[in-house]
Amino acid sequence: MSSKRMTTVGVLFGGRSVEHDVSIVTGHQVMRAFDGERFEVVPIYIDRDGKWYTGDVLNDLKSFEQDIPQLPGVQEVILSPNVNHHGLIVNPLPSGLFGKSQIKRLDVIFPALHGTHGEDGTVQGLCELADIAYTGCGVLASALANDKITSKVVLRQHSVPVLDAVSFTRAEWEQAPDNVVAHIQSVLQFPVFVKPATLGSSIGIARADDEAALRRHIDIASSFDRRVLVEAAFTGGVEINCAVMGRDSAVDASVLEQPVSWEEFLSFEAKYLHGGEGMKSAERIIPAPLTDELTKDIQELAVRAFQAIDGHGTARIDFLVKPDSGEIYLNEINTMPGSLAFYLWQELGMSPRDVVEKLVKLAQDAQADKRRNTYNYQTSLVSVTAARGLKGVKGTKQAAAPRTE
Amino acid sequence: MVDVFLLIIAAIWLAGSCWRIYRQAHYYQIEEYMSGRYLRWVMSERARWLPNRPLIALLAAIVFTFMLVESDDGILMFIIGAVAAIAAAYPARVTEVKKAFRATARAKRLLGASFVVALILGIILFWLAGRVQIDGFLEARFVLTAVAGWLLFTLAPIALVLGNALMMPVEAFMRRQFVQRARVALAEIDPVVIGITGSYGKTSTKHALAHILNGRYKTYATPKSYNTLMGVCLAINNDLAHDYSVEYFIAEMGAYIPGEIEQLCDLTHPRIGIVVEVGPQHLERFGSLENVARAKYELIKGLPVDGVAVFNWDNPYVREMYERDYPSTRIAVSREAHPAHVPPGGPRFVASAVDETLDGLSFTVHDTQTGEQAAIVTSLLGIHNVTNILLATAVAVHEGMSLADVARRVRTLQPAEARLVRKTTAQGITILNDAYSANPVGIISALRALSLHDSKTKLLITPGMVELGQLQETENRKLGEIAADHATDVILIGQKQTAPIEQGLRQAGFPAERIHVMDSLREAQDWYQTHLQAGDTVLFLNDLPDTYST
Repeated sequence: MSSKRMTTVGVLFGGRSVEHDVSIVTGHQVMRAFDGERFEVVPIYIDRDGKWYTGDVLNDLKSFEQDIPQLPGVQEVILSPNVNHHGLIVNPLPSGLFGKSQIKRLDVIFPALHGTHGEDGTVQGLCELADIAYTGCGVLASALANDKITSKVVLRQHSVPVLDAVSFTRAEWEQAPDNVVAHIQSVLQFPVFVKPATLGSSIGIARADDEAALRRHIDIASSFDRRVLVEAAFTGGVEINCAVMGRDSAVDASVLEQPVSWEEFLSFEAKYLHGGEGMKSAERIIPAPLTDELTKDIQELAVRAFQAIDGHGTARIDFLVKPDSGEIYLNEINTMPGSLAFYLWQELGMSPRDVVEKLVKLAQDAQADKRRNTYNYQTSLVSVTAARGLKGVKGTKQAAAPRTE
Repeated sequence: MVDVFLLIIAAIWLAGSCWRIYRQAHYYQIEEYMSGRYLRWVMSERARWLPNRPLIALLAAIVFTFMLVESDDGILMFIIGAVAAIAAAYPARVTEVKKAFRATARAKRLLGASFVVALILGIILFWLAGRVQIDGFLEARFVLTAVAGWLLFTLAPIALVLGNALMMPVEAFMRRQFVQRARVALAEIDPVVIGITGSYGKTSTKHALAHILNGRYKTYATPKSYNTLMGVCLAINNDLAHDYSVEYFIAEMGAYIPGEIEQLCDLTHPRIGIVVEVGPQHLERFGSLENVARAKYELIKGLPVDGVAVFNWDNPYVREMYERDYPSTRIAVSREAHPAHVPPGGPRFVASAVDETLDGLSFTVHDTQTGEQAAIVTSLLGIHNVTNILLATAVAVHEGMSLADVARRVRTLQPAEARLVRKTTAQGITILNDAYSANPVGIISALRALSLHDSKTKLLITPGMVELGQLQETENRKLGEIAADHATDVILIGQKQTAPIEQGLRQAGFPAERIHVMDSLREAQDWYQTHLQAGDTVLFLNDLPDTYST
């Protein structure tokens, strides 16, 4: 039993993302899951413009129907990258006679953000700078999972099957659309799916059955992202999702789910807004009606894919599966699944409280692991350079000596 | 004209006195501004309270004045008076200084106040000297001025003590402010506080624990040997304040008088307490080992009921603390108990297969509660470090680290400053530096480490142990006896206080020609640099502050 004080968890939600509203719901589910006896939960809301706020009223979903900055007790905050602050600066730009900045220390940060500026490694990078433990995937895994183009390369390298695809930049598309279309048609056959490279949700994704539709959808997709992916369509199968949790060699897979609305393709509304609270009431079959063997294969692939991107914490991994032929393709990795896939862990006897606490524990372990790395090496480079003058400095191969604490 | 002459002479005496005050402030600082201790030091040697040169200069001036009494020449009188004043008050060359005077804010305030005291004292003395008129005897005023100047110079230590007394209320206020600031800063950061106390081994244990805990938690420990209320406050105000990332704060707690640790606990509110050793260190201030133990126990009393106390089971006084029933969680460690025969209620963490080579220590740590064990390897020398590492292990495991984590961290542990640090000089001579506060436990470790070397010459350089009260002679004799087994040559620094060591050496049959008694560390260094060769080993054991006469 450690002697440490109550753990303070800052839950980030909202965010500068098209999934802003979904994130508010996930954030509240997370905050509610914590045991208030052992955790002090600090709500941190990021509005659509990227302003950060905290305050007790943010614990109440109803507050979000009003103008947040005007609510009583709501204060502007920033997450300080200064490691000594180790948390939030509350009221960073004080005004008036009694205005005063304060530090609110956070022991753990729980990003409950979906999509851009949250699920993509950016917030994770800020947590790294601040040197604060944070739940979920790190910078690399978040950025990789978020990028449909690069993740395919990495996953293929780890023998995780993915669908064939062609990718290009907006500039390439705008300069020579005919070349791009010709290239796509030489590699893939209709129907195909057009996707922006890095959007988390289904926004901007469309199916093209002919060249005209292809051109139209690429125009749309390239307004969402600088890079676009055109992928072979997968027909005659089902979507199967599997959540994973853990880090390094200790990663567990959940039961599988089969969202039933696949046939119609998940529209944005169906995926998130259908029903009151996140994905809880979306229609799905749990466990997915697959053979034990196929189930096991998918679970193993999920774990392998998570390890391939160096994932920590949790992710929901979505597969496209043909149950008859046993064909499996990894479709996408969501490092911040809606509702954190609570409903999948429930099947294994884990309550939402167990899930969030396990994620906090994993975050603290990962942070402890980072403490084993040496970041401080003292070299004589600066003093030598200062003595010699900046001219003629080529390499930085100075004898390095570890800093003694 | 004569008055101007007298004023100049008075001014020289005053300047000399102020310079002497400045010099004396160094010793006053070493005695931690405790007037009693400082004055005892001054009075312990005649040359300190009645320096030779000023006395001779004064007497010479008086004699000359009377010899030339006929001439009745003001200028001649002035020259005699001025030369005498300069000869008396001209500052002596500074000899070897181990710990330089630190011009802290407090020292500056003290000097300012003392100079004012000296000035007032000077005005009174010179005014009195000027008042005495003997008709037709002009020289009397020169003589009296010289006497007044000499008095002022001689009373410099008193001016210092008076200056300190004058500043007392100011210092008390500043101190309260400083402590209050530390209290607020600590409350704001709110780390888990770990208190470490003991007669010795505190700094090494702190150093080991900070290194181990830092493998998992952000840990800050009081630097060096800061272990007084002001030292700990300084660490908090300068380093800990505003660092919200700190999870554990390790405070070393020293005690010179009963109640000091209680004060430190009142400031820091430790949740975890470690008692390393109870021994005769500072015995002269405490009177008895029981009093020492009582002072250390203040740390345990300062823990909350649900706090954690860690004890060194091998020390009978500390074991007795463990056997009392406060607080509820008590953990004992032992390097002497055998893991297979730990009595019920005995130590939880024990060491076995302890081995010491020149590469360092290795041993197996057993958690007798869980049955787990781990191999510990460290470059640290000195068998006492096994205990220190065990104590640190107990805390780290309690705070959620595994024995494997602990073992991994210990592998990169370096010795604390001047605590049995081993290095080789350019000439190829190996130096074992154990210069800080030698104590009866540490010296045995250090001497064992010395004898591990297969050098032809194994030289021990030591001024002996001090502040051990009535045990000082016995312990130093024992040091001599043990040294006889481990060293081939011994340099003793300071004839008087090392006499018992020499006795011990002779009793153990150590050849007399291999004992060298010297006056200063400098001399000892010169000796070994000319007499030792590559491959030889020198152990520096203890290093006394500048207030100890050598």
